[in-house]
Order: sequence, then structure tokens, then C-alpha cells
Amino acid sequence: MLNALLEQSSLFLQQLVNGVTLGSIYALIAVGYTMVYGVIQLINFAHGEIYMLGAFLSFSLVSGFFGIGLPFALAVTIAVLVCALAGVLLDVVAYRPLRKAPRLAALITAIGMSIFLQNLALLIWGAQIKSFPREAVPAFLFAPALQFGDVVISWLQIVILSVAVILMVFLQLIVHYTKIGRAMRAIAQDQTAAALMGVNVNRVVSFTFALGSGLGGVAGILVGLYYNAVYPTMGYFAGIKAFAAAVLGGIGSIPGAILGGGILGLAEVFGGGYISSSYSDGIAYAVMILVILVKPTGLFGRLSRDKA
Amino acid sequence: MHLDDRLFSDKKLYLPLLAAVLVLPWLPMGTAGPYVIRIATLTLLYMVLAQGLNVVPGFTGLLDLGYVGFFGIGAYTAGLLTVHYQWSLWLVLPLAVLNGALWGVLRGAPTLRLSDDYFAIVTFGFSELIILVLKNELWLTRGPMGVPGIARPDLFGRVLDQPWQTYYLILFFLLLVLWVVVRIRSSRLGRAWFAIREDEIAAECVGVNVAHYKIIAFALSAAIGALAGAFYARWFRFIHPDMFKFWESILILCLIVFGGMGSITGALIGALVLIPLTEILRIVLPAEFSSARYLIFGLLIVVMMRWRPAGLLPVERE
Repeated sequence: MLNALLEQSSLFLQQLVNGVTLGSIYALIAVGYTMVYGVIQLINFAHGEIYMLGAFLSFSLVSGFFGIGLPFALAVTIAVLVCALAGVLLDVVAYRPLRKAPRLAALITAIGMSIFLQNLALLIWGAQIKSFPREAVPAFLFAPALQFGDVVISWLQIVILSVAVILMVFLQLIVHYTKIGRAMRAIAQDQTAAALMGVNVNRVVSFTFALGSGLGGVAGILVGLYYNAVYPTMGYFAGIKAFAAAVLGGIGSIPGAILGGGILGLAEVFGGGYISSSYSDGIAYAVMILVILVKPTGLFGRLSRDKA
Repeated sequence: MHLDDRLFSDKKLYLPLLAAVLVLPWLPMGTAGPYVIRIATLTLLYMVLAQGLNVVPGFTGLLDLGYVGFFGIGAYTAGLLTVHYQWSLWLVLPLAVLNGALWGVLRGAPTLRLSDDYFAIVTFGFSELIILVLKNELWLTRGPMGVPGIARPDLFGRVLDQPWQTYYLILFFLLLVLWVVVRIRSSRLGRAWFAIREDEIAAECVGVNVAHYKIIAFALSAAIGALAGAFYARWFRFIHPDMFKFWESILILCLIVFGGMGSITGALIGALVLIPLTEILRIVLPAEFSSARYLIFGLLIVVMMRWRPAGLLPVERE
């Protein structure tokens, strides 16, 4: 009896740890969706592909896929910077020309870019699942850091959680206490008025894309390591779940995206563990649809001036 | 006069086209014959799908990202009824269409007040949930094993087992669908949809019952998708959850984006150009590239939105 109870509670704790890890990754991606939506009211469908790019680039640079193998830290830094740059390029090439066009046109373009990038990755890296070579990754990451009975927390899980927390704090500081952060908030409130007050809208939007895509790239690298699997469609599924997290938290709200990511990560792990493992992917879709239908502003969202 | 009206009212335009489509199976094509007829059948099937999708984004201006869901509902309804009860196509088809329309209404009713991008997301989530149900409800759908051995279509008790017979069958369905959408386009219903597309609030203000007309559009669009699905199940004779993935929705969307959203002729041309192109790419490209051929579709969407946002055949807006 007592044994069964202990087993149950350690299973519960293990799920909790896994859920928090997953949730912090979703939060990192969701922030990218929510920032872009807040600034230009666009669901950047291709954001999941930036995340996928982060995983692939770090994998390629570490394993020498492009000919040279780089040290882990350098490879990861380059991958994140390239992701940030790719985000800016995505905006400049695909979205900026459509800023004045109907919103539907930009949304359809975002879907087009998502498909384009996903298949580009398929062309370059192939459909097979890639794994990080063990010897190229710092070994301590996969070692257990803490162990309570049957509950194991790996260093990687601790790294994921702390990276997510540090980046989120950093992000909040940028948005609330820097000049460019103030410009972002101004554009989110009223783009025309911000432009009239001398805010360089294009530059701020580029900065937003760089920031969001950089965070997405970090998430991609962390997931690539966590599941030790990198493949072209990884951005599609993670992107949808992170988007659901952003919707749940209230799209446009950064704290909302963080909370939404956490809730969704936990819901997925516990739902998969206790309710039905085959429908664990469905939780994200169901949450997304329900929130949109019942409370489109999410947990923290403001009522926009347009109807929701 | 708009091209859609001209094409379907001017005998000099549509009679030669119809004649060309009718004689196609009888052209001397040698050994390539069955293959060409197969691609032609597939193209006509996608024309039906493009017409069905066009009703919602094209006529009412709401982006549907989950259209393949209705294709799947139609295919599974028809496929399962055929496998379990051996009913005739002409019995399972209306049931599949009704089931599709029902789900169109069920999906559409809660979304009536949503703006464009939220509507798009709900439709997307809906079709993903349908795939999950198809995959996991083994007792009903056999899940990832798919449903094999679906009977071929039949007519007056005779089995249609020749490629040209299924070709004429889908041609018949396409003409039926075209007749419906062309008639509706210039009716009171069509004008109400266009009013909603141009400005929903203005339409509401002049007395258009927006909810009522949107629901009709959802039902019609879903019914056409389910019709195509029912045909597909009986033609291909095997259905699997993976056939109804997000990709397919995007492919169908690509057809109407290419031709011009809201244009009936445009949707036909989109399918006429892009579906054979996909098949040609499948043959021409080496195996490792052929799986990445959707890259071209992604690029096409981006380029169209950038330079020809209204498609090749833009709908005139008065």
C-alpha cells in the first residue's frame, strides 16, 4: 500500500519535472509568436521553422555536417545568431512588402514560407532523424544532477529550465526598461501614432523578429539535445503547440506566453501520462480551439480595438 | 462582364472546352493512356475540392486552413459504409455529403464571431483533431492500418472498373458542383457572401443576416469536400489518416491562391496547372528531391501574394 503510494508520487514528481522542462521550451518558442503578433498582428507561421533551423544548424556545426566541426559553445552561438538573422530576413523578404496589404495575404505568405523552409531543410538534411554526436556535446549534460528515489533530474533539464528563466527575465528587462523595448510597446499600441512620434517602425519590427527568432533558435537547440532528435517537421508540431501556448496566455502578452507554455507543457505530460497517451498531441489543439472560442483574449490578453 | 459569367454563359467558350474534356479518354495515347487518364481524374477531383474550398475563403473572405478535414470525413464515411454494408455509391455518397455538411455547420457555428486569423486557426486545429480521431479510434476507423478493399463505384448495378468510367464519373460531379456554384454566385445568396467578404459590418448594417449566410457557406463548402472524399474512397479503394494531413489543405489553398481567390474559373485553372505539375515533378525529379517538391508550392504562395495577390484571374470588385 505504502509502496504503491510512493511509486505513484514519484511517478507524479517525474512527470512534473518533465512537464516543467517541456513547458519552458514551449514558453521560449511562444514568446516569439506573441512578440511578433503584438507588434504587427501577424501569426508568423514560419516561426516553428526558425526553431527547426536552430536545431539543424547547431547539429551541423557540431557534427561537421558542413565540413568543419566546431566546439559546442561556438556552434551554439553561431546557430542562435543565424536564427536571429533568418528571422529578420524572413520579415524583410516576405512580410514587409505586405504590411499594407490585407491581413489574410500576410498570413497566407507566412504559411507559404513555413512550407518553403520545411522543405528546404528536407532537401538539405534529408528526412532521416539526426542525432547530436555524443562526443561533441559536453558529457555532463546527460548525467543525472539530482536524484530523489526514482525521480531523476538531468543536468540538461536544469540547463533548459535555467536558460529559459534567464532569457525570459532578460527579455522582460529589454521590453520594459530599454528604449527599443519602449518602441516595441508603442508600436504594439498604435503603429501609426508610434511612427508619427518618430519611432523607426521597420527597425523595431526587425529587432522584434531577431529577438523572437533567436529565442526560437535556442529552444530548437535545447529540444534537439533533449530528445536527441533533429528532423525537418519538428518545427511544425512544436510551432503549433507553442502557438497554442501563446493563445492560451493571451496573444501579444509576453508573461501570458510564458505561463501558457508552462501550463501546456504540464497538461501535455500529465494528460499523456494519466488520461490518454495517443491524444496527448490533441490537448494543445483542443486548448487552442477552446480558448479562441470561449475567451479569445486568453489569460492575460488585452481587448484589442478590433474585435477579437 | 466577369470571366466566370462569360465562361459559363457563352456557348462559344464552354462547348469546345466541354468537348475537349469529353473526348480526352479516347485520344490515342498508346501505353501512357491509363496513366494520363489517372492524372486527368486526379485533376478533376482537385477541381471539385478547389471549388468547394473557394466558397469559404473566396466568396465569404474567411481563410479555411483545415479544408482537408471534410475531404477526410467524406472519404471515411463513404469508405466505412461501403466496407461494412456493401451499399451502392449512390446511397453512401449522399450520406457522406450530409455528414460533411453537418460537420461544416458544427465547426462553423461557434466561429461566427471570430476575426480572420482566429478563424483560420480554429479550422486548422479542427482538421488536426480529425486526423487524431482517425488515427486513434481503432474500433471505428482501424487507425493507422487504414481501410483497404473499398468497393469500386457502381452505376445501375454495374461496377465501374474502367479508368474512363471513373473519369466520366468525377467529370459529372465536377459539372454538378460547377452548376451549383455558378448559379449561387449570381444569386441573392452569392451577393450576400460577397457583401460579407467586402465588409462584414457594413453588410450587417444593411440587413444581411451574416450568421445565416456564413452557415450556408460552411455547409456547402464542407458538403463539396465530402463529395470529393466519397468519390476518392471509392476510386482509390484505400484510405489512411495520413492522406488527410495539413499538406493537403495547403495544396488545395494553393490552387485557389494561384487562380485567384473567389474566381470559379481561377480555381479550375489552378488545379489544371498545378496538379499535373505535381505529378510531372514526381517523375522528373530524382527520388531524394521529389519529397521536397512542395518547396515549389511554398515559394509559389509567397510569390503570388507578393506580386499577384489577387491571383492570375483577379475577381473584379465593383
